[in-house]
Amino acid sequence: MIIQTHNLGKRFGDRWAVKNLNLTVEKGQIFGFLGPNGAGKSTTIRMLLNLIRPSAGCFELLSQRVGSSGKKIYARIGALVEKPDFYLYLTAEKNLEILAALSGCNSRQRIREVLEIVNLQERAQENVRNYSHGMKQRLGIAQALLHDPELVILDEPTSGLDPEGIHEIRELIISLASEREMTILLSSHQLHEVEQVCTHMAIIDNGSMVVQGAVKELLGKTDFYVTEVRIDRPEDAYQLLKTEKWLDDITLDDELLKVHLSADSRPLLAEFLVRHDFRIYSIIPRTSLEDYYLTLLKKRHGR
Amino acid sequence: MILLLKATYYEILKIFNRMRTYIGFATVTLLVPMIMYLAHRFGFDVQDQALRALGDSVMFVGTLVNGLLVSYYLMNVLWVHFPFFIVLVGGDIMAGEAAAGTFRVLMTRPITRFQILTSKFIATFFYTAVIVFYLGIVCIGSGVMIVGGGDLFVFDKGILILSQNEALFRFLIAYGLAVVVQMVVAALTFFFSTIASNGIGPIIGTYAVLVVSLILSVIQIDVLDTVRPYLFTTYFDVFFAPFADPIPWREIVQKSLCLGGYIIGFYILSLLVFIRKDILS
Repeated sequence: MIIQTHNLGKRFGDRWAVKNLNLTVEKGQIFGFLGPNGAGKSTTIRMLLNLIRPSAGCFELLSQRVGSSGKKIYARIGALVEKPDFYLYLTAEKNLEILAALSGCNSRQRIREVLEIVNLQERAQENVRNYSHGMKQRLGIAQALLHDPELVILDEPTSGLDPEGIHEIRELIISLASEREMTILLSSHQLHEVEQVCTHMAIIDNGSMVVQGAVKELLGKTDFYVTEVRIDRPEDAYQLLKTEKWLDDITLDDELLKVHLSADSRPLLAEFLVRHDFRIYSIIPRTSLEDYYLTLLKKRHGR
Repeated sequence: MILLLKATYYEILKIFNRMRTYIGFATVTLLVPMIMYLAHRFGFDVQDQALRALGDSVMFVGTLVNGLLVSYYLMNVLWVHFPFFIVLVGGDIMAGEAAAGTFRVLMTRPITRFQILTSKFIATFFYTAVIVFYLGIVCIGSGVMIVGGGDLFVFDKGILILSQNEALFRFLIAYGLAVVVQMVVAALTFFFSTIASNGIGPIIGTYAVLVVSLILSVIQIDVLDTVRPYLFTTYFDVFFAPFADPIPWREIVQKSLCLGGYIIGFYILSLLVFIRKDILS
């Protein structure tokens, strides 16, 4: 087990930011860590990285109980937490040199390698003060990879990057897992990104685990299919369908009906529409992570 | 241990890569030779004062004023003015990292909080020692070059005349003790820096404590006698002790130990705060 938390909790004053969290990440997984703002993702990551102390529970990293192993375990972990901050008055290379030395690796060759990976080798001698946000983000990823870690924890790694940069980072994450056998915990708001990159995921809300598992398995659950329907008179259909009890939810978006219902109920929908003399142009079941995520949280909040 | 040494090396490197570090060095480099020049060109008021204090019992022909005498009087900047250069750097060493968010990156490394804090503390000590000795070297060096060398006349308790070589030896001890004094200021500002999340708070906090403490140490009111032994500023005059004859070693050791206690105390307080601190920024 690469990450295992046991009823992990963090309280700020009277409020539990994270409560009874049991997160399991196994070797080789690219694990998406999702949740709305304030759900407790960053707090969890900060606890895993020893930036804040848990108020309850405990956790293991790379099969070692953190606390008993001191901080040595962090020599095998790379991380980028929220926005990447560096010593602005030093060059990128000097920043990496400091972090490399504190990670127990001092190879200039490795510093050059990671700068090359994130495409910053030509600006390595510039002070970080002159870097754009996107460049700092890439440098943040470089420092996380510096000591060739077994586990990489990335918090919003593509934030502030241009489309090309986002694509490069996605490819990099996939290659780190497949070629270097790194395990990656990826916290992101970009559901599309998680869907494209991650093999497994967990969704937390209000500090508690909502669901975790393999992305394909979770998205395969029929309860979360959204069926897009194109018909004539969509407004009339919307008025009729919204009173029906056998579907979970319905929205009308630019003449497109989005119906939340289980796969089993889909024939009922077609039957219903035909019975009421609607002309059906298309019925397309969709299972994007975005739909899954939004549906799950809507259900949870009773909306 | 190796990690601590590496961390200390990089902390020193960080200190000396920042502009603010050189404000103190630049000020000393510009101001001290200028004062020496002015003392040489227009005279130094202390000679008249000193001779007036001696009344008619002594007749003096010639000039007492030389580079060593001016350097001796310039040591008074170590009370209130010079600590500014210490808090300017020391106040930012922890709070600056918190404000810049670099603790987040630093603390995801296999280095303990104890090592981080201790390396920064040692680096602060190093900077303090370097700038205090730099002040000493510039004072005495520019003093001897511009105003001239010779015997040092000390008038605090009667007249003490020290040969140039003996005076230089006393200055060496005095500046060593000045490092200890300034290190108390550095340790105090370091403690405030551990609590604060920006570099301004520790500067204001340290100066507030320093000035109030100095006032309470200096004011001769009987009721303050009970408080005075607990104020670190009470022992600040230790750097003038080497200019007595004989050198009061016992007093120097006692006062240095008291100041050392404050340094260790502020370090332990900083450690207790930092080890429990949640890094949220």
